[in-house]
Amino acid sequence: MEEKKILEVEGLETSYDMIKALKGVSISAITGKLTCILGPNGAGKSTLLFTLAGILNPDRGKVIFEGEDITNQQTSNLVEKGLALVPENRLIFPHLTVQENLLAGAYARLAKEREIVEQDISEMYARFPVLKERSSQLGGTMSGGEQQMLAVARALMSKPKLLLMDEPSVGLAPLIVGEIFSIIKQLNEEGISIVLVEQNASKALEIGDYFYLLDQGKQIFGGSREAILKENIIKKAYLGESAG
Amino acid sequence: MEYIQISIDGILYGSSYSLIALGFSLVFGVMRRINLAYGSSLLLGIAAALWVENKLNFSIIFFIPTVLIFCSLSNLYVERVCFAPHNTKAGVVVSMISSFAIWMQLDEISAQLLPDRTHSFPSLEVSTFEFGELFFRGDQILNIFIAFIISAILFLAVYKTKYGIILRAVSNSADTAKLMGCNTNLVNSLTFIVAGVIGGIAAFLVLSTESQVTPLFGFWCTLKGLVAMMIGGLGSLVGAFWGGLLLGLLEAHLSYQFGPVFREITTFSILLIVLIIRPGGLMGVNIYKDLKSRDERI
Repeated sequence: MEEKKILEVEGLETSYDMIKALKGVSISAITGKLTCILGPNGAGKSTLLFTLAGILNPDRGKVIFEGEDITNQQTSNLVEKGLALVPENRLIFPHLTVQENLLAGAYARLAKEREIVEQDISEMYARFPVLKERSSQLGGTMSGGEQQMLAVARALMSKPKLLLMDEPSVGLAPLIVGEIFSIIKQLNEEGISIVLVEQNASKALEIGDYFYLLDQGKQIFGGSREAILKENIIKKAYLGESAG
Repeated sequence: MEYIQISIDGILYGSSYSLIALGFSLVFGVMRRINLAYGSSLLLGIAAALWVENKLNFSIIFFIPTVLIFCSLSNLYVERVCFAPHNTKAGVVVSMISSFAIWMQLDEISAQLLPDRTHSFPSLEVSTFEFGELFFRGDQILNIFIAFIISAILFLAVYKTKYGIILRAVSNSADTAKLMGCNTNLVNSLTFIVAGVIGGIAAFLVLSTESQVTPLFGFWCTLKGLVAMMIGGLGSLVGAFWGGLLLGLLEAHLSYQFGPVFREITTFSILLIVLIIRPGGLMGVNIYKDLKSRDERI
């Protein structure tokens, strides 16, 4: 089967002031698949997502989204093209109600398609019933798991083709983590391509199709689930060479 | 009866504080930053409008929009110079200090435009009302009415419209709003322009009741507006409105009791008391509690 690449990254290098966080990362994400980026703290996973989403500008390298070079483009353009980021720690708007958070997520379409946006919100409520119960509650007063669902729903409001997710499991109880991962899996099955950054490698291995391993800003592995399980490379990356 | 009269005068006078505080509050609410050059940019707007009016000699109907345009332009200038280049977390202090520096620059330009110490200002020909033994100045009634209307419009715009959602999203977290595809730069610039228009209206109303401009007007605006906003509540639009009225009321009573010197003493004493007892202002969020609860909740 011919597999189309929705996202291609070539030799990406990004730095924060003097510190180089990405030292040449090349990954690709296949349309409709779930691509996981694993790696320990400080590996550059979040930097990679921020660069893809246009928050940070790379020093070198190329980002190609659906065949179009999107390197150095503004975030607002990227959102309109169908790229959405669910940030780490959720970062919902704490003083906006759940409904307003969702409206803010549809920012790019708010002016033109108000009615369609309203429909999409009801769709989100059908998908996440807990958000409907809380629709007029301030975002900041919800539990972590509910906030994570809100963050996902808010990102979906921009109708993304590719969803970038930064550590959705961080700071959540194991039971909630399971729930969030099943939502991610379900979204992927519905046809949204996902790039998932995770520290929780065992959870990611359960649902991912393709895996990349980053360590200290460099990519040390890339391949399918079978390959990553065979090479036992995760242990090496997290625990050092001797563990392998 | 005289206490009632003083209360009325105080509240009416305080409505001009309310208007200026609204401009401060809007900028603080959206950007979480204090613009110390606000009063000076209003003075510059007024000075530029007077300068143009002197050259062209047009009527008051054209003068008012000229004031608003110049006030928003000078406010936009402050935003471009002091706020736009420092939009990181570390830039909060930088933009406040640079706005302090720009304050000097703007005051100098205003002094060049209006070389006399005092300059006459066109006043609205509004008569005084009598109600029993009480006197109401027509222009001050207009002032409080406009202050009320503007705060109501702002409140509705911020809390009930889609633009308001975007504004509050930027206020909550500019970085996250950017992720939603929002052009935060544009939102900030527009906020400063709107604050300039509100400030322009306030400046026009205040100066037309006094019929003159002095070079100290900029400092007066910054001081009273800032204090009224801090009393009412940081970033709270309703709070700014009531804070201004309360400040005017207390100033009027205390300066009547103890002499006009007490006007300024009152301003600073109230500020001090509010900052000690309730740092977030009377109607604002309790900032410390708010931050704590945000960190606690996971």
